[in-house]
Amino acid sequence: MAKTTFDIFRYQPDVSDAHYRQSYDLEHEGDFTILDAILRLQDEQDGTLAVRYSCRSAICGSCACKANGKTVLACMSQVEDVKKEFGTETVQVDPIGNFAPLKDLIVDMDPFWQKFKSVKPYLIPDGPAPEKERIVSKEDMQKLFRESACILCAACYSECNSLAADPEFVGPAAFAWGYRFAGDVRDGQRKQRAKLYTGEHGVWDCTRCMYCNERCPKGVNPRDAIEKLGGIAFQEGRSMKDAGARHAKAFLISMRTGGKLNETVLVPFTDPVKAHFDIPFALQMIRHGKAPSPIPHRIQKLKEVQKLMKNVKETI
Amino acid sequence: MRRFAYYPGCIAEFSSKELDATTKHLAPMLDIELLPMPAATCCGAGDIAEAKPNLYLTLNVRILSQAEEMGVDILTICNVCTLNLRRANKMVKEDARLLESVNEELVKVGARPYEGTIDVTHLLWYISTEEGLALLEKQGPKGLNGLRVAPYYGCQLLRPSSVMGFEDPDKPQSLERLITALGGEVADYEAKSSCCGFPIILAREQVALKESHNALSQSRDAGADVMVTPCPLCHLAMDAYQRKAEAANATEYNMPVLHLPQLIGLALGIDNKIMDFKRHLVPMDRVLEAVGA
Ligand code: SF4
Ligand code: SF4
Ligand code: FES
Repeated sequence: MAKTTFDIFRYQPDVSDAHYRQSYDLEHEGDFTILDAILRLQDEQDGTLAVRYSCRSAICGSCACKANGKTVLACMSQVEDVKKEFGTETVQVDPIGNFAPLKDLIVDMDPFWQKFKSVKPYLIPDGPAPEKERIVSKEDMQKLFRESACILCAACYSECNSLAADPEFVGPAAFAWGYRFAGDVRDGQRKQRAKLYTGEHGVWDCTRCMYCNERCPKGVNPRDAIEKLGGIAFQEGRSMKDAGARHAKAFLISMRTGGKLNETVLVPFTDPVKAHFDIPFALQMIRHGKAPSPIPHRIQKLKEVQKLMKNVKETI
Repeated sequence: MRRFAYYPGCIAEFSSKELDATTKHLAPMLDIELLPMPAATCCGAGDIAEAKPNLYLTLNVRILSQAEEMGVDILTICNVCTLNLRRANKMVKEDARLLESVNEELVKVGARPYEGTIDVTHLLWYISTEEGLALLEKQGPKGLNGLRVAPYYGCQLLRPSSVMGFEDPDKPQSLERLITALGGEVADYEAKSSCCGFPIILAREQVALKESHNALSQSRDAGADVMVTPCPLCHLAMDAYQRKAEAANATEYNMPVLHLPQLIGLALGIDNKIMDFKRHLVPMDRVLEAVGA
């Protein structure tokens, strides 16, 4: 028999505006998930404790929360594992981050669903429907394998660093779904999607903190999907349309001309206006020896690289 | 003597030369021989991956193959280079067909094909193990004199853990071990593995400056004398952009920021001229005073 203290975030807006924490002790044995614990507490100790759940088997995506600060699915996370991982006898349970709490562990998911809808998460085929079904090869379907596994639990939003700094950021799961359809051979909107996903708060706003890949319980790797959407944007002629895209383009130019990053290209190319007006900052950088070298670096065997840049085909 | 193919990355070679210089000076003291890689390209910094994913993979495998030809593993001093090289390495090591198709491209342009036999490590990983710390001990460090150091990991040396795998990304301890071993005090704070914002600092400056605020303000509030980071991109965001972050967040941090090898250098008494603190934007005076350098 194990004994665990659960230290749970509480917010009961119909009673008061206060956010507070409440501790409960439970004895348990055998398999016992965080969700099992909350449901037993509801049943035996405190009927007011609110949590969202449905399937209890890691497939409906309702029960994401934080256990000792780390975002998990409550129904997939064993209490004893969490204690062992953090070396604690207490398990802190909190609602997921980056969303406003509605009641206890339940958050307002409206912004998540709005962002999800904004990427048009459905097939929009081109031309008249064929007589029978639209056939997709196994290889083509394999490309969407990871993104297709998303259960919309929002665990990837919970610790997304770009979202924390910019609440409008469209975010990881929505873009995973974006690639799920932009990358589907049956879809006819690749070009339009490339545009839709790459504006302000879009693909180029991802700061690459890698929390989404780390936390996703289904191995979706949303950051990788964002990368692929960047690739599609390049294929669809958007490489000069946004400061984020030009930033990436500057790396390609540097690669072709010297094999290494050429900072003389990077700054003015990414944001010509800012580079022009941010003189005080530029002067400061120069004073501290951080001025880009006027002579671009050139690696040995640069020809190999230039040929690779011509030859290698993208298969996004 | 452990030999490595040395992959400093573009930032350490250009904007942050002080990092490269300190590393090169430090290496022999730690029984490390750094072999240059004159034909290695930029890793693409995640930017080339975000524009041309197959090209990213091919270019990084080309770098791995150069080290393989030299018969040694790669040593990096940058989070981003470490992630990009390790990720490419993992991709081709786990997928023989993928390796084959990448090698086809390499061979076509006269580059050496990769056999998948080498590893990529970061100086922090190498030096923060028991054996690494013993190498430091042998140097008889004069120590950090109780300097309060805020460890700042950033993101890409920790996550995704499936690629990085050196330590638990939620409870990293390598910098803490190093700081303590060198006679410093750890100033602990939550945001030590949050993002510095650098990847989007040129394209989305205001968003990025909100991100760096977390670690800068929290390390200040934890009473740190100085922050240390294993990544030159984090360093630029935290040091070169610190005044901008102060303006954007209407606060003051006054937080000097050390590159990882400079922290070791201070404890071992490496000449300040080599570590070249003048190249930092936030002055290092109070740190040098505290350790009596
Ligand atoms: S990508 Fe993963 S973490 Fe994000 S909503 Fe989908 S399943 Fe959840
Ligand atoms: S990698 Fe990008 S999308 Fe994923 S959590 Fe970080 S900022 Fe958000
Ligand atoms: S209850 Fe359905 S995923 Fe946890």
